[in-house]
Amino acid sequence: MAEGGDVEWELSKENIQPLRRGRAISALHQALSQQQDGPNSVINQQRQAFESELRIYDGDDPLDVWDRYIKWTEQTFPQGGKESNLITLLEQVVTRFTEEKKYHNDPRYVDLWIKFAENCPEPLDIYRYMQTQGIGVTQASFYIAWSDEYENQGNCLKADLVYQEGLKKCAEPCDKLLQFHKALQARVSRQVMMNVEEDDSDDEHKQPERVSLANLKHRGKKKAIVPVNRTGAAIKSVSGGLPSRGAPVHGSTSNSRLLIFDENKTQSAGPSEPKLEVWMAPPTSRTKENEQRSEKWCDVKVPLKSKFGHTVMAPPPVKPTFQPFVESDQPPTMTPCKINPTVNTVLTARKPCREETPLKRLQEHHQQQKETESGKPQEQSMYCKELLLSGATEFCFEELRAERYFKKLVHESQEEVKDQKDQASASVSN
Amino acid sequence: MSIFGSSGFGTGGTGVFGSTAADSHNPMKDIEVTSPPDDSISCLAFSPPSLPGNFLIGGSWANDVRCWEVQDNGQTVPKAQQMHTGPVLDACWSDDGSKVFTASCDKTAKMWDLNSNQAMQIAQHDGPIKAIHWIKAPNYSCIMTGSWDKTLKFWDTRSPNPMMSLQMPERCYCADVVYPMAVVATAERGLIVYQLENQPSEFRRIDSPLKHQHRCVAIFKDKQNKPTGFALGSIEGRVAIHYINPPNPAKDNFTFKCHRSNGTNTTTPQDIYAVNAISFHPVHGTLATVGSDGRFSFWDKDARTKLKTSEQLDQPITACCFNHNGNIFAYASSYDWSKGHEYYNPQKKNYIFLRNAAEELKPRNKK
Repeated sequence: MAEGGDVEWELSKENIQPLRRGRAISALHQALSQQQDGPNSVINQQRQAFESELRIYDGDDPLDVWDRYIKWTEQTFPQGGKESNLITLLEQVVTRFTEEKKYHNDPRYVDLWIKFAENCPEPLDIYRYMQTQGIGVTQASFYIAWSDEYENQGNCLKADLVYQEGLKKCAEPCDKLLQFHKALQARVSRQVMMNVEEDDSDDEHKQPERVSLANLKHRGKKKAIVPVNRTGAAIKSVSGGLPSRGAPVHGSTSNSRLLIFDENKTQSAGPSEPKLEVWMAPPTSRTKENEQRSEKWCDVKVPLKSKFGHTVMAPPPVKPTFQPFVESDQPPTMTPCKINPTVNTVLTARKPCREETPLKRLQEHHQQQKETESGKPQEQSMYCKELLLSGATEFCFEELRAERYFKKLVHESQEEVKDQKDQASASVSN
Repeated sequence: MSIFGSSGFGTGGTGVFGSTAADSHNPMKDIEVTSPPDDSISCLAFSPPSLPGNFLIGGSWANDVRCWEVQDNGQTVPKAQQMHTGPVLDACWSDDGSKVFTASCDKTAKMWDLNSNQAMQIAQHDGPIKAIHWIKAPNYSCIMTGSWDKTLKFWDTRSPNPMMSLQMPERCYCADVVYPMAVVATAERGLIVYQLENQPSEFRRIDSPLKHQHRCVAIFKDKQNKPTGFALGSIEGRVAIHYINPPNPAKDNFTFKCHRSNGTNTTTPQDIYAVNAISFHPVHGTLATVGSDGRFSFWDKDARTKLKTSEQLDQPITACCFNHNGNIFAYASSYDWSKGHEYYNPQKKNYIFLRNAAEELKPRNKK
């Protein structure tokens, strides 16, 4: 199968990020061969076309443009990375339509959120936020992705709870949800069985071991019945990894953190389903340390900014120039602080939301609306920021106007061609 | 110069000596140029001192560039007009005043010979040309064009191929040339200084002193009439004054806010407007800025003070320039697209105003 084009793909295998849905091989070849081209390559033209479309689009379904643009970006830049601007685009599309209820359960939009979450250091926060905003709550893909994340972090209980939540909400497509749920349970039970087979001394928690050749305290008064002391894998039935329906056995609750799911068990152990916390503001999504993006700095509108005409060239780096995320009902510092501050004062708890993030901006949007009521001085840019800063690159006013001008030209020339055709056919028919 | 008859000028002839009613299209009661373009004016340029009298050219989004003679009594006489196949984004004069160079969205630049009223194409880019300037060096003369195709090209007008092509990190948004210095501001807040002696070459890339999109740039000169720095305007009401080799950069370079509303009123949000153009007075060294808010302001950068702010026009001011001796200040009132397509009203008239600039731009403190 080693034709000319295929060899190229083979040579760059490690540079190609896998996509969940796989890559179209033709797009892959094209992308790889065109990576070397100069500024006027087909790729740049296509990208420019998307950027214009984003700004000119007048129709009812703006999400469609973003969706196609992002899918094109994924296919065209197999190695991901900064050049693709994929993360920028994901941030933008996610933030932009967060108020649009009609998109909240649109499978495309939910998929974009999931892609975005996957590119963040704390995807769980993103999923929780989505839930509180009602984004994706009737989409199976949302619960699947969320549960996957829990599973990756080793929290299979939560992973399972997520599926339960999805089933409760009748997420569509239902059979897919069930299928993935079952697969999770299968994995979990296999995992447990494997864990038990390995040397148990590695485990943090003590696994109740069945002591062999020991005296078993008999139970029962009249008849001495050998007590049943099953541990680990023996608790579960072997068939397909489905949990046993029996009553809980001694010691099972003190088992490893992989708590075995039992439908009939009351869920007293472990936290209940994820609370629908009132999110005053969404959590951080990314730590952007080295990217300097001027537009986002000045998106930050906070009382700290000088309002008396002092020239504030750049905010002092020490103070955060934006409101740190404050979750209601909880203390300000929310990142898990394993170091006891009274003991060790060297490392202070990391303040959340240190850098500008897209969800941070969402928060500011909410907060700004509150601040205008409180009368704090605000600044308002009197130009179409959204249009200019849309997509992966910025436009200036003239570029915006030029795009519309060219679009009109194209439209007019198409009309002309159509007219000519009509005339030609009319004259023929006469 | 003879009068060139061309279509589309309507009834030319006598100028309007300002309107007596204080309506908002001309609150400063300045002289209205006759037969203004039919669409937004993108650039204005006065003739160089080598040409007797004052001639003003203005390019517009109606694909045309027009030339008027400004007479000493303030009357403006439409002279001639040339067309491109796309909106005109910039225009400039040759140093001897015989030619006008125009740059357009149609990716070409043209040389317009005013004596023969012929125009020919002298440059070609892969994208719209945003900036065009004439360079007169002791050993060469050429045209510099900056385009959205991220290149800066230099053209000897006699050859279809550029004498030089320099790659830029991003699309050219604005540029200025005062020999031997050229400054180009690009997208993504890029800022590059070029030196033009012997042949153009990149001199330095500068970290932008502004946090927002660059919109306009103008070079200023020192007391010895040598270019020494530039003023850079952004899309959010701020101008940076930047010296190339200042004795004390931290103190000498500074930025100031402009084109904002509700300065002292803290209860309502402050509206911030884009700075559309900057021009330096050729004699006094003071500068004028025009903005999306429909105002123009005069500033003294050495005294760091504002000299004057105009009343608010009912449209943004998109372009401005001084004539060669600094007596006339021209500014254009038209829609700059700052709020996108929805706010565009093709029926709204566009204006160019002329104002006497001899007194108002005198510097505040004599050093």
